[in-house]
Amino acid sequence: MRGSVTRAQATTDWLVVDSLAPATAGALEPMYDAAAAGRLQMPFCASCRIALELEQLVCDRCGSGGPQWQEVEPRGTVHAVTTVHRHEPSLIRAREPYSILDVELESGHRIIMTTTAPVGGYAVGDAVAVTFRTVGDVAIPAVSATPPVWAHDLPVQPGDDSAESTTKEHR
Amino acid sequence: MIDPALIGLGLTPMSVRPGGGAEALALEAVRRALEDAAVGLDEVDGLLVNSSQGIRPDRVGTALARHGGFKQLRLLEHVEIKGATAAAMVQRAVLAVRAGMASTVVCVFGDAPLRPGGTSGSTYAKSGGVDGLRGLERASGLLGSVPTFALLASRYLALTGGSEADLCAVVRSTRAWAVANPQAVQRSPLTAADYESSRMVSTPLRVLDCARPVNGAGAVVIGDARRAVEAGHPPVFVRGMSQWHPMRRRTAPGESWFGGGAGPAVDAALAMAERSRADIDVLELYDPFSVVTLCLLEDYGFCELGQAGELARAGALGPGGKLPTNTGGGQLSAFYLQGITPLAEGIIQLRGNGGERQVAGASTALVAGIGGRIDHHAFVVLDRDAA
Repeated sequence: MRGSVTRAQATTDWLVVDSLAPATAGALEPMYDAAAAGRLQMPFCASCRIALELEQLVCDRCGSGGPQWQEVEPRGTVHAVTTVHRHEPSLIRAREPYSILDVELESGHRIIMTTTAPVGGYAVGDAVAVTFRTVGDVAIPAVSATPPVWAHDLPVQPGDDSAESTTKEHR
Repeated sequence: MIDPALIGLGLTPMSVRPGGGAEALALEAVRRALEDAAVGLDEVDGLLVNSSQGIRPDRVGTALARHGGFKQLRLLEHVEIKGATAAAMVQRAVLAVRAGMASTVVCVFGDAPLRPGGTSGSTYAKSGGVDGLRGLERASGLLGSVPTFALLASRYLALTGGSEADLCAVVRSTRAWAVANPQAVQRSPLTAADYESSRMVSTPLRVLDCARPVNGAGAVVIGDARRAVEAGHPPVFVRGMSQWHPMRRRTAPGESWFGGGAGPAVDAALAMAERSRADIDVLELYDPFSVVTLCLLEDYGFCELGQAGELARAGALGPGGKLPTNTGGGQLSAFYLQGITPLAEGIIQLRGNGGERQVAGASTALVAGIGGRIDHHAFVVLDRDAA
């Protein structure tokens, strides 16, 4: 019954069961700590400042050790995307196909995430905003189901500026 | 000094139904390989074990030596470079025999992902745990390997301008080979319409774009080439060997999912064998997903980036094509026995045992294994001619 107090605040995720909540201890702990406070943090080389992979301990450019986590802009573009039609019965709650996106953040990090709500129709190169969803009691990065305001290429529906108007449908 | 060659090959029946433990299957493959090589268990002084990575309660390990009745061994290792392991085991065994560390080495892989009450897809979806980066990805719905390679395919098709027709061409090519392979588990001829109507798993990958998991095992024996002749087989020599472990970063600006320049490693293996790409009669690749074949043909220097789809659509990879590839049906249509699938087919073709799928006069094969998300490559150049 660990964390029963904080779990009381947890909401049910739309996509996966609570048992898939990631273990927050370990190399990714700074990211999870920041995410719990609504901030997106990513690792950089403390010495030469290049973006590092999430579990990378030594910089591949300058050889320095010790990643430094810092806040980054929560936005990026779709580097790759798939719509998953297979639903593992004991792990996936959703009944409809769901999106998994490999998002290239403006910081240069590429992070695999799903969406905050069931939204589809993404294409490589689309601009996306990153926010968080909660699995069990763990906040993890997710693409905002509401389209980003800086996506100037999205079609504007005259007379309708609600989020639903540009919410994309599944292919 | 012993001139090492592949002198024995053993494959169990490939089952698409639950049953059989990985260890028992592995030992059956060993028994068949030793019988094929006419080598007694008491002559084996080296054993290399390759098991499926991930969380498997029945993962085969070095205990196989104790359970399998092996005698005193001079070489015993559990080799682990994921899917590249089978080719890497052959490299390890050849070097050990040349160095005098062992004389007769068995290399074996066995797996039983199909279990009662669940599909192999469930087995893979439930593997991976909640720790580290994998835990984060799984919490995002990335379960099993299919969505992972679907992301790779998404990126590959976006970058090259390729289409699902390219994937379909690869699948149909392997199926055309599998039709003539009695050991393949999917042998019915396949039309483009069959492909297009097959179940979508994770766009753009359909179920037919994915390897067919089986419960089964395969083993090879590496030893004195003269023993193969005594057993009535042409020895299959390992003339070239190399590995390559590209460090593609999951950061901009490079590509994260594929590429990484394995071509020079293929060059190195061929140079060691005193062969060139034009000498390769059969190309046996690791093809867990159709898109991987396209990526590897380009990465290995058989065509330019973005040209592999055209090659596949032109029929170059299939029976009668100019670059016969995965001539037993590969992992896609024959069976997914990880690195054993391409290795076994290379041996079968060079022995001339391919039956209706035999590539006439095949004397040189490039066998390639990959591991992880195409993070590891191991190559062996097989040849009927001694050095």
